Amino acid sequence: MIGADSVTVRAGGRALLADVSLTLNPGEVLAVVGPNGAGKSTLLRALAGDLAVAAGQVRVEGRALRDWRPIDLARRRAVVSQHVALGFPMRAAEVIALGRLPWHATAQMARDEAAVTLAMEQAGVAHLAERAYATLSGGERQRVQVARALAQLDGAAAPAALLLDEPTASLDAGHRGQLLRLLRRLARQGTAVLAVLHDLNEADFVADRVAMLIDGRLAACGGVAEALDPTLLQRAYGLPFRMVAGGGLLPDFAAGGR
Amino acid sequence: MIGRRVLLAGGAAVLAAPARAETPHRIVAVGGAVTECVFALGVGDRVVAVDSTSRFPAAVRGLPQIGYMRALAPEGLISLNADMMLLSADAGPAQALAVLRAAGAPIRSIPEVPTGDGIAAKIRAVADALEVDGRPVADTVLADWQSLDAPIAALRPVRTIFVLSASRGAPLVSGAGTLAAAMLAAGGAQNVVSGYNGYRPLSAEAAAQIAPEAVVIMDHVLQEIGGIDALLAVPALAVTPVVRTRRVLAIDGSYVLSFGPRAAHARRDLAMLLHPGAPLPALPARAWT
Amino acid sequence: MSLALATASPRARGRVAMLPLGAALLAAAMLAGVLLGPAPVTMGGLTATVLDVLGIAPLPAEYVRDAAVLGVIRAPRVLMAALVGAGLGAAGAAMQGLFRNPLADPGLIGVSGGAALAAVTAIVLGSSIFGAAAGVMGLWLLPVAAFVGGLLATLMMARLGTVQGVAGVATLLLAGVAVNALAGALTGVMIFMADDRQVRDITFWTLGSLAGSRWAHLPVVAVLVGLPTLALCALARPFNALLLGEAEAFHLGVRVESVKRLALTLAAVAVAAGVAFTGLIGFVGLVVPHLVRLGFGADHRLVLPGAALLGGTLLVLADLLARSLAAPAELPVGVVTALLGAPFFLWLLRRRGMGA
Repeated sequence: MIGADSVTVRAGGRALLADVSLTLNPGEVLAVVGPNGAGKSTLLRALAGDLAVAAGQVRVEGRALRDWRPIDLARRRAVVSQHVALGFPMRAAEVIALGRLPWHATAQMARDEAAVTLAMEQAGVAHLAERAYATLSGGERQRVQVARALAQLDGAAAPAALLLDEPTASLDAGHRGQLLRLLRRLARQGTAVLAVLHDLNEADFVADRVAMLIDGRLAACGGVAEALDPTLLQRAYGLPFRMVAGGGLLPDFAAGGR
Repeated sequence: MIGRRVLLAGGAAVLAAPARAETPHRIVAVGGAVTECVFALGVGDRVVAVDSTSRFPAAVRGLPQIGYMRALAPEGLISLNADMMLLSADAGPAQALAVLRAAGAPIRSIPEVPTGDGIAAKIRAVADALEVDGRPVADTVLADWQSLDAPIAALRPVRTIFVLSASRGAPLVSGAGTLAAAMLAAGGAQNVVSGYNGYRPLSAEAAAQIAPEAVVIMDHVLQEIGGIDALLAVPALAVTPVVRTRRVLAIDGSYVLSFGPRAAHARRDLAMLLHPGAPLPALPARAWT
Repeated sequence: MSLALATASPRARGRVAMLPLGAALLAAAMLAGVLLGPAPVTMGGLTATVLDVLGIAPLPAEYVRDAAVLGVIRAPRVLMAALVGAGLGAAGAAMQGLFRNPLADPGLIGVSGGAALAAVTAIVLGSSIFGAAAGVMGLWLLPVAAFVGGLLATLMMARLGTVQGVAGVATLLLAGVAVNALAGALTGVMIFMADDRQVRDITFWTLGSLAGSRWAHLPVVAVLVGLPTLALCALARPFNALLLGEAEAFHLGVRVESVKRLALTLAAVAVAAGVAFTGLIGFVGLVVPHLVRLGFGADHRLVLPGAALLGGTLLVLADLLARSLAAPAELPVGVVTALLGAPFFLWLLRRRGMGA
């Protein structure tokens, strides 16, 4: 679906990403993890086409990203950024409806109304529809943006890709669970899902594969067990992690003394 | 389309036609001197509106105001139902004049040349438009003006500057090409600021260098500043000989600088201010002064 | 349409009715603008003029004056006001959308500053520098100069604000500030060189007036203001995407840099051409889009055409007042737009609040 071939991204002479190669496949959830500043968001933005790559290239369905028309990209991949502030006040339903823009003047336009309704249900934001976006909490806004992305992908002909940058960051435990289950469900239906995640347990729960970034380099990319290997985690975070009974990883904060 | 049809229907010709058929009896006068000319010609009672620069004679103060002559209002002018609009050549803007012309308004442009001959020409142009005989007034004003030519030429020109305002910063002083410069020259003064046209702020250095002996200023401006002492405290003037001579000559701007029928008398009054006791011929009072 | 319905609520449905309502409002204002004014026009004069225009009956001589007032003075003036007001409103809405900044107005992109500099230069140096050309071009010197000056300033701002092919909003804004400062300084130089009369001319030009509107201008204004205004309205969807931010707009399939360039160009042409014939008219471009947003939300499919319709309405009414209130003199129309719009805007602001 979306692939990175030896992608390097530079800013101000520094390599934010160095020689990263990975592939996001339809029907899987790929979690991107790593410590702060490792280049997780940069990788997501490079895959989304927001950033110019200094070397290597990003491909979508085998074609170089820069050869795609933005509108064709928009009809097969949606992006949920970390924070979206509006230029002017809108209601949540209006924000979600913006997801339908790529389908204007296509046959899919007939689905606009149904797609928005469905997306609101899936993201659990139907009750927020008439609220002003600016009055929503951080977590509510995040879910509205997820709904907007779902509305955008409704009607995609080929398997679609959904890229999310820390989608659980402002959510409480209950909504986190809902969102992660939604991502799994989307993958099951064939969508390629890439999520930048902070919480390794969320990655452990939701991901088919995990990509671990350290200092802009891909330290590991593979099954959960492989990428969340305790030695690798110690290298990445400078802390020992231990498995807890019944599944789950806990960082041992006390290891450095208190 | 409408405009073209109306014009095709002969709007311009027909609307102006009544003005040609008989002597205009509803006059709009725009420009202080133009208005004075109309009154000097004895038909002031036919004036129905004037602009904001028309302040003489006193009768104009009760008339409808059409605003500043450089910001004419086409529809406002039309609404006055005038059969003659006398516009100073300085009136504008050009686009509004074009609209008036297109609407067939009876407008007549009156030349503004600040010389004795120019004033006579102005009076004759106004008289011509109003279909009255302008020669008596024009000839009298010109004769009055010319009677001063030789006596004033015999006087030593006083080194003078004209201060338009001095309320903040450097005083705004007349260079060449202004009405003030023209009247100073006619009144026996030498405008010592000639390096530029129009009004500019005068720096203290430049003022010290040109060393004027006298300052001519409008009376209300002098009052606003706070009198002669306040004026001479302005840095650009404090460095000039005027501080010693204290020759600050206050004039009524709308009288001295209007270049209308009263111009000959104004010229003499200014000359007497500049040259107290000079042997200038007395001018008899006229009906329009 | 489908989107408005997709988010259907009673409020949303009400909004769809807004555009025909705005058009009706504009039509009513224009009718009032043609029928009312300081020069009274009789019913008979109106009828005779209409019959003459329709070619049904020739104009009787006693109605020539009425026909001149209606056809030569008011009709072109009202059309000009509607077009220029629409251009200012739409351009203002577009600039606020583009810069995602409620304080943005067409002045921000340097167009009015550049037009003012060129117009002031034409007023001050027209006869001396352009010499023979000033005579040939006559009444067109000032508008042509202002139009070209406005476009050049915006071009300069866009060039300065584009780094490595990307016109960042902050960079553009700062470039606009710089271009405006430069134009303002050069305008100051011109004012320094101006004589007393020219200074007054400049002052009145910067306050705006529709007094010079003639039929000959209207084809030019219809093309240079009308077409860009319509084109801006057609950009409503990309502008809606931009509400989320530039990256999000790109994710939604918008060619952000192209849209920015296009919107800047269209707004600059519309404003420069309007300003060229009327002088600077403030307030419309800044506040009219907010009026529409406060009433009907941020959807650009309503905001852009709504701001155009309301901008036209406001300027037509302001001009009617400008030529009526001080009759037979005329108030500068820019003064009236602000006097008329600002209190209404404040009232609406207090009533609704910006966040709602």
